[in-house]
Amino acid sequence: MAQNEMLAMILAGGRGSRLKDLTTKVAKPAVYYGGKYRIIDFPLSNCANSGIDVVGVLTQYESVLLNSYVAQDGRWGLDSKDSGVYVLTPREKADEGLDVYRGTADAISQNIDFIDTYNPEYLLILSGDHIYKMNYAKMLAYHKEMNADATIAVRGVPMKEASRFGIMNTDGKGRIVEFEEKPAKPKSNLASMGIYIFSWKLLRKMLVEDMKNPNSDHDFGKDIIPKMLSDHRGLFAYEFSGYWKDVGTIDSLWEANMDLLDPKNELNLNDSSWLIYTEDISTLPQYIGKEAKVKKAYITQGVQVEGSVSNSVLFTGAVVKKGAKVIDSVLMPGAVVEDGATVTRALVAENIKIGKKAKVGSKTSENITLVAKNVKGGNNNG
Amino acid sequence: MAKAFGIISSADNTIYVDGLQDYRPIGSFSFLGRFRVIDFPISNMSNSDINRIQVYLNSKPRSLCEHIGSGRHYNINSKRGKIQLLFSENTSARSIYNNDISAYKANIDYIQRMHEDYVIVAPSYMVYKEDYRQFLESHIASGAEITVLYHKVENARDYFKGCHTVALNKQKGVQAIEKNLGTANNKNILMDTYCMKKETFVELVQDASWMSSIYTLPDIINLYCKQMDVRAYQHKGYFASLTSLDDYYHASMELLDYNTASDLFKAEWPIYTRTTDSCPTQYFETAKVTNSFVSNGCLIEGTVENSIIGRGAIIGKGVTIKNSIIMAYAEISDDIRIENAVVDKWAKIINAKNIVGTELEPQYIKRRDIL
Repeated sequence: MAQNEMLAMILAGGRGSRLKDLTTKVAKPAVYYGGKYRIIDFPLSNCANSGIDVVGVLTQYESVLLNSYVAQDGRWGLDSKDSGVYVLTPREKADEGLDVYRGTADAISQNIDFIDTYNPEYLLILSGDHIYKMNYAKMLAYHKEMNADATIAVRGVPMKEASRFGIMNTDGKGRIVEFEEKPAKPKSNLASMGIYIFSWKLLRKMLVEDMKNPNSDHDFGKDIIPKMLSDHRGLFAYEFSGYWKDVGTIDSLWEANMDLLDPKNELNLNDSSWLIYTEDISTLPQYIGKEAKVKKAYITQGVQVEGSVSNSVLFTGAVVKKGAKVIDSVLMPGAVVEDGATVTRALVAENIKIGKKAKVGSKTSENITLVAKNVKGGNNNG
Repeated sequence: MAKAFGIISSADNTIYVDGLQDYRPIGSFSFLGRFRVIDFPISNMSNSDINRIQVYLNSKPRSLCEHIGSGRHYNINSKRGKIQLLFSENTSARSIYNNDISAYKANIDYIQRMHEDYVIVAPSYMVYKEDYRQFLESHIASGAEITVLYHKVENARDYFKGCHTVALNKQKGVQAIEKNLGTANNKNILMDTYCMKKETFVELVQDASWMSSIYTLPDIINLYCKQMDVRAYQHKGYFASLTSLDDYYHASMELLDYNTASDLFKAEWPIYTRTTDSCPTQYFETAKVTNSFVSNGCLIEGTVENSIIGRGAIIGKGVTIKNSIIMAYAEISDDIRIENAVVDKWAKIINAKNIVGTELEPQYIKRRDIL
């Protein structure tokens, strides 16, 4: 792609409060997924793989870890001369003082000066919350082909679930005629993925106006998109059919990890033509011990298994000691399951220890058990 | 520290690892699945605050150049430090003239241009962990002109082929340096690691090259050890010299003892390598893996015992792999049995049903070979 023809901005300020203790100290985009990744590795790797050079990451909620994580742009190969990942947090301004990002559109508006320094033709807006692989260059080609003012990536969802999403109604030729947020009676099953390409000149003008509007929520879905529709701008839906997950809850995060246990899973992280890049950790390869039993598992480097693991995903540095059993579970980085302990249908958070012979989780519980505090050894811990 | 710069030497022309070395120098051999041998000396130097490092290459440089690249992944400041890749271009790897001294002689300007007073020379074909700051401090404190690193071994008859041994007096003065001829099991193996002043190093290189075109650094030190103060510093912990296929195989198998391996890989002494961004490894319903190190990106359906599996290897259904090293991207088709073997990168085992070597003589399968 020509230098900075399209700039990407990732909205990464979300708290992800339904992820409970996983997001008390880190924002949702920094939550771990898939054995070695963080969620934000997906949009960042997609950008790198799509030939986008400059990415702004808009952070707000508990951003210390996320800011330092994304600032190391070499992880995604975005460290060549004219590329970079830039952290954009709310800042104090000479005439307005410090203001938080009031909405998704406001986060962009407050960084118009940053975008102007690159003077891009197009702006790609992404969410830092989703797991998927997508070639944004193809979406841009579609945007140009349609001569669009805005292109919104959409994905077919089951009709009965459509009322949980923002639904795009099109004219059958890809042109969006109506946008309905969580409609009670959906007319289509095309859900917005929160991925937008705008022609920057037009969006810039609209954002400047939106900032002055006291009645606006300064949100793309609530304000900018409806305004564009009422102005009869050319909005087009770009249909995407691959794997896409919003891991908003503990159950869905667990489930998305479990998806990887199917060797034919749609996400296919093993595709060398579209790798997902992440932090590089100096560690031993995974070690599977003398008495270990490992079947149907997704395990990364630095893991040590002496016990038995089935139907589970183990992150960097997780340890399963002798006689311990890990079943239908996710062990996040550095989680330790001590001798004889059993973990069933649970998600064990980073660096958590499950004491000797302790039992956590249950085969029949309605929800997945989140273990975010150390569990003492013993025989009866839930 | 930065009192010293580093030199990473390549194996001399008397050393040749059958099979593996047909494709790359020893420094570029895969080790324990996700590392290359040269990651160990470079990480030792980087962790010892040595950030200007010369790596000498004597043949087939492609894989090492790619692997080392800018050196950024070795945690070396890209302004203050650098990794230089230096060639001795005149001859082939196995030529009698292609030795360490001729390589240093050809690059003597770059050695003299270094700002640091001392040099640490370490080999690209041995694996160990050593804090060169302590090695250097001990060298300076002793007043010696040259200090060499050595390791006491109890199996020098079968292993450490091509290595030198050091004869020491009671004060750890070096009396002689000789080739290991496998005459006894208990030997002090020279770790081809030296510490000395830069000027001393330059003098040794000049003197050796004037005396004979085939003299190596250990040769000249052996010759001078009577008149110079040459001392030895003992290394403790895991040590491997990968100077023959048997040595390579044996050293890898030794690390399957998790305690031995975790002693070599301490969190405070990271061994850096270049990431390949492979995803985690997929264990299928039918997988049975015990006492093995497995790298990322593998698909495992079969049985793996006491083995090391490289990145992205595919182990089919009904396969049994025992006491073997399977390198990156090798594919082992269904129902094949492999024992005591080293399977090189990208090899595809499809038709051969049994590939069996012995503990002392592992079977080697060539890179990209289809069997």
